[in-house]
Amino acid sequence: MENVSSSGKNKPSCACGCAATPANEPRRGFLAKATTLVLGGAALGTPLIVGLISFLNPLRQKTQAGRFYRVATLEALPDDDTPLKFPIIADRKDAWTLHKNVPIGSVFLRRVGPKQIKALSVICPHAGCFIGYDAAAGGFLCPCHTAHFDLDGRREDPEDSPSPRDMDTLDGVEIRGDEIWVKYEQFQMGIAKKVVKR
Amino acid sequence: MKALCSWIESRTGLCGWLAACGAARVPGRVCLCRSLPFVLGFAFVFQAITGIFLLMRYCPSAASAWESVYWLQYEVQGGWLLRAVHHYCGQAVLVLVGVQFVVMILRGAYRAPREFVFWCVLLLGIVTLGLLLTGDLLAWDENSRSATLTRVNFLQSLPEVGGALFKLAAAGPEFGSLTLSQFTTLHALLLPAAFLVLLVLRWWFARRATTVEAAEAPAGSPYWPRQVAANLVGCLVFLTVVFALALAHGTTGDGRGVALGSPANPAEFYEAARPEWAFMGLYGMSEFKVFGGGGTVVHIFIAPSIMLCLFLLMPFTGRFKIGHVLNIVLVVVLLVGDVYLSYKIYARDDSDPLHQAAIRQSQLAAARIPVLIRHHGGIPPEGPLALLRNDPKTQGPALFKRHCATCHDWVGGAADDIKAEESSAPNLFAFGSREKIAGLLDPKQIAGDEYFGNTAFKRGKMVDFVREMFSDMEPEDLEDRNLLVMALSAEAKLPAQKVIDQKDAEQIAEGRELIVDYCTDCHQFGKSGRLGTAPELTGYASREWTVGIIANPADPRFYGKNNDRMQAYAESDDETKNLMTNREIEVLTDWLRGDWYEPEGSGQ
Ligand code: FES
Repeated sequence: MENVSSSGKNKPSCACGCAATPANEPRRGFLAKATTLVLGGAALGTPLIVGLISFLNPLRQKTQAGRFYRVATLEALPDDDTPLKFPIIADRKDAWTLHKNVPIGSVFLRRVGPKQIKALSVICPHAGCFIGYDAAAGGFLCPCHTAHFDLDGRREDPEDSPSPRDMDTLDGVEIRGDEIWVKYEQFQMGIAKKVVKR
Repeated sequence: MKALCSWIESRTGLCGWLAACGAARVPGRVCLCRSLPFVLGFAFVFQAITGIFLLMRYCPSAASAWESVYWLQYEVQGGWLLRAVHHYCGQAVLVLVGVQFVVMILRGAYRAPREFVFWCVLLLGIVTLGLLLTGDLLAWDENSRSATLTRVNFLQSLPEVGGALFKLAAAGPEFGSLTLSQFTTLHALLLPAAFLVLLVLRWWFARRATTVEAAEAPAGSPYWPRQVAANLVGCLVFLTVVFALALAHGTTGDGRGVALGSPANPAEFYEAARPEWAFMGLYGMSEFKVFGGGGTVVHIFIAPSIMLCLFLLMPFTGRFKIGHVLNIVLVVVLLVGDVYLSYKIYARDDSDPLHQAAIRQSQLAAARIPVLIRHHGGIPPEGPLALLRNDPKTQGPALFKRHCATCHDWVGGAADDIKAEESSAPNLFAFGSREKIAGLLDPKQIAGDEYFGNTAFKRGKMVDFVREMFSDMEPEDLEDRNLLVMALSAEAKLPAQKVIDQKDAEQIAEGRELIVDYCTDCHQFGKSGRLGTAPELTGYASREWTVGIIANPADPRFYGKNNDRMQAYAESDDETKNLMTNREIEVLTDWLRGDWYEPEGSGQ
């Protein structure tokens, strides 16, 4: 014990015995400081970088969309122009879990001609709530920040609407026999331009 | 003893440090109001302890987050209390930090030499908001998922980087398991660590500031023991408030503590989703467009950032008298504005029938789920939603609204009545019951709106028959009709009529013979009569019969060629071609017939 305290008093020494003596004073110049900083940064940075690499993995992942799905039969749609909401049934992957045949989203379908169907995404372009059909008003209403849309999905009050753009139309609609197939896509929210979300 | 003391002191310096602490003085008099920082430290320890115990029972993944919270809330002894105190203490921490922040500004204590103390408190407030936001998601119930998803979605509105930021925040392209584990890490590790660092720094800076101030104005009162006692009283008051809130909903029943909503459904969006109270002002600000047509980016990102910058600069602007006054005005305006906007939102939601309906529906589901889980004996691996999907009580109304309420009413004078968009078919309330059938055999009612009034059968044979048979009745005819009603209704085997059906077994047997006499000219009943002219009466309104008529009303067994407008919901053997799945029809049928599980003693 005495040993430690006596040696600690005058000469600073290192456990490895490399005796850092005050005689080296002049050499503690810029180079030494820079080296120390770089070494320290490298020591701290290594685990951080290794972690960050996997942290950034989500950027490589894509939303699952862009395929055609069978949504409904022609018969299921009423003859008037009331829109009906239909689920898109497909496989949904949540990280490592694969859910077979579950609803992955919904679309509004509306008949505009005997064999002509219009499809609108239920996802609000504002912040992604699900828009509902408001039968009383004869249009659509988003429950989260009350954006109103007409039957074609146009904003009722473009100046004042919380939504930056009209409802997103799904342009890939195909009639195969008596079945309605829709190309399901999601779009980036909160911006005026309709950009497919990836 | 002395030797021991000096040995410890020489190695650690602890004794000197303790002595210094004991000799510390508070400026001015000992006061409860000075205990705020201490109480905040205590609250952190409280959250750390309760949080660790919660974390031991929590599984952050989409398939088990809600389930593990359910387990805590309903099965673990005292689990509900643990959740509740952790929840309310979190809210109280925000209030504490807020009060400290405002008091510092009002008192001018954010200026030199306390700038760093002030910044620490400001950052503590932000970290607390982060803790509330991340903690909210973890329960993974309808509201927590939807409300958080909306807020994270706002990131997408940032130009260029939005999409990438969203993916990073959600730890994937969609909200899911990884979002939960990331939020758990933030909530239980990173943010608390930041909170702790800020607490220590705050304490450190405050001590330095006190020393600087004490040099100018010495004296004051000793810290030990009176101020310490005052601090502990502060802690007790704090604890009392937290426990009072946690126990406000009682200590028994499913709703005690903090209610757990029904589990998040990734395919749906909760219509009444709202942020917690702490964010309501911000929500109101963007909702009422305080800054005009600037849109989301302005209201959610730019305006709050500007406010934050103003706060950060306060110690400098406050050096001037006018700046100090402006700072006070700013804080008061923001506080009043926050309260006002929050109030406006609550008032708007309160008077919005759609919003209230969504809440009611969600509460019904949330109350129903524990019942179903107990009945099932546990949660199946497919998750609690699978139980809910097969539950007639909660799913029936939704299916009815979707498929039947275009034409049919379901109206019995209760709050949950379902009105048809355009009532053009019989009211299906109390389907198959004695009252319902009695009305059908009543000449005054059968052609009314409740029955065939709006259908092609208004001028049909059945209406003629009922008018002819039962218009001017002798007393014994009346009795006959009564027996007919009992017998026909007994065919339905409704759970609600089980007792009276058993009691009236004799009359029912008589009634069955009358059915053969009266009805089998057109209807088939047992071996009498034949199919093709009118619906079969064997098993009328029974489960099997009802499933059949929904599947295909134009089947010869039902209306055949006379079918009036009703769609066939499951005509084909290929389920994907049908309007409803077989399972859905069964659930709807069970609901129409009032046939679902209720725990004993629930009054149903
Ligand atoms: S999410 Fe639809 S209005 Fe905000």
